[in-house]
Amino acid sequence: MIVESASRRRVRTVLAVAVVALFVFPLYYWTTTAFKDAREIFNIPPNVWTFDPTLKNFEEVFGISLGFLRQQEVLPGGGNFYMAPRLWDSIVVALGSTALAIAISVLAAYALSRMDFRGRHAFVGWVLSTRMMPPVAVAIPMFFIYKDIGLMDSYLGIILMHTLINLPLGVLLLKSFFDDIPKEIDESALIDGASRFLVFRRVILPMAKGGIAATAVLCFIFSWTEFIFVLTLTQTGLKTVPVVSSSFVTSTGTAWGNMAALGVAAMVPAFLFILLVQKQLVRGLTLGSLKQ
Amino acid sequence: MPAVTSAKAVFSSDHPLPWLFPLIAMLVVFTIYPLIYNIWLSFHEYAPFRRELEYVGTDNWVALWNDERFWGSLSVTLTYFVVVLIIELVLGMAIALLLDADLAGFGVMRGLLTLTLVIPPAITGMMFLLIQDAEFGVLTWVLEQVGVLDGTAPILSTPSTALLGVMLADIWQWTPFMVLIFLAGLRGLPGEPYEAAMLDGASGWQIFRRITLPQLSKVIAIAVLLRGIDLFRMFDYVFVMTSGGPGTATYTLSLYAWQQTFSFIKWGYGATISLVSLVLILVIANLFIWIAKVRW
Repeated sequence: MIVESASRRRVRTVLAVAVVALFVFPLYYWTTTAFKDAREIFNIPPNVWTFDPTLKNFEEVFGISLGFLRQQEVLPGGGNFYMAPRLWDSIVVALGSTALAIAISVLAAYALSRMDFRGRHAFVGWVLSTRMMPPVAVAIPMFFIYKDIGLMDSYLGIILMHTLINLPLGVLLLKSFFDDIPKEIDESALIDGASRFLVFRRVILPMAKGGIAATAVLCFIFSWTEFIFVLTLTQTGLKTVPVVSSSFVTSTGTAWGNMAALGVAAMVPAFLFILLVQKQLVRGLTLGSLKQ
Repeated sequence: MPAVTSAKAVFSSDHPLPWLFPLIAMLVVFTIYPLIYNIWLSFHEYAPFRRELEYVGTDNWVALWNDERFWGSLSVTLTYFVVVLIIELVLGMAIALLLDADLAGFGVMRGLLTLTLVIPPAITGMMFLLIQDAEFGVLTWVLEQVGVLDGTAPILSTPSTALLGVMLADIWQWTPFMVLIFLAGLRGLPGEPYEAAMLDGASGWQIFRRITLPQLSKVIAIAVLLRGIDLFRMFDYVFVMTSGGPGTATYTLSLYAWQQTFSFIKWGYGATISLVSLVLILVIANLFIWIAKVRW
């Protein structure tokens, strides 16, 4: 290890703090916007550090009463900015598509990791090329297909599309976790007379538990943040949080405070999740190609 | 016979097909079939008076070739792709080198940078719309104070700067992606070559250029591939921030295809544009994989 002098270390620390602060600032500004009322959001010069915090925006978005809105301002049914059901839609879609993507991926990843067959390399290439497809090239035909078969505006329809976008991640990442488990473990169990399925179920799955959990967390996040499929394949029914965030732009102006409140509510679970998988993050982001 | 027994029987052989079947089924139904449907759609167009699709032969493809807006959106997509990729690559490497030290607080700072990666890009777009608002945006205000902006040409509604404003959101959200990957690469490098180079009196730049960079080539190739794919098919930021405007300054291929289909009810034409985008990205990405020898 190269040892730096104390003054170089100080310069490095100061620069690092400045850079990270620059990256954190938009998050800080967005989060504080959620706690401002309209007057302060539209203030010039912008109110960055000093403002009167209010929970009004959260009350409107979640249809709850915390005493910041006057009684007559609390609208029955929540009003235009009532978005709690959209959070629910996001959760259902993300959980459903994560479960389905993992179920399909563990089976395929096991075969790709353990069995030798002709065309295996090409098959991996096919899975990877699914990751390259522009979503719009799938969303356009799926719009017409879903209209024909009645899957528009349905949980199932969106769950299937979000499963699809997570399959390359699921298959390739889980394959890399299975590859970490020595093949001798399978082979000795198979020689002892256990079936493939039993080995998979009783030996490999438990050993890869951590990897499967990390993969599931990443699938959840990618479904949670997905935009174009929900935008295209829903009309009046369900909508996830990223898509409704643009509905705060109205003819009378943009409800920035409410939008920021919803945005903050959408980020908090994702932030918690990402902290859970810090150790596998790089491996996950590179579809299992780089191990930390 | 109970279902469990039959499942066991199916999965017990060493044949990979039962294991791969659900995946193959999903990919065929949700990528191959839509692809064929899209090709079919590109030879049809919605006829508003008959209110149905009619066969138009190669009309859409000919129209595409002569459509200046299409070529414009291709050029916006390529500009965005090249410029943002280079900025994120260079900035990502610089920040990774900066944060690659075991000093107090550096672990926390590395963790903070990962937060941007899990924000829905549509919300990031909104965030940067607020920051760059013509009247009360905090970035607008700062730039006006230092004299870069004078209040007559807001970033996102001026043709020459709108794409830059969109790029800013992308650079903010995804430079940390590069940083994390490069940091992992840097941490995995062996220490001996560095010690030898130091003893030989090599400069910092020489060490980076001759030792660090070659060893990171695989890591860089993967980061460029994955980020490049997303940059080429970018949709979310322009959709929420500019809708392609002002004029056509920020029309990407994905947005142009989507708007032709859904805003202008030119179903077949939108499908045609999306197909071009699909073919281009598959060719570019696979060429890159082949040249850079990226392996999974």
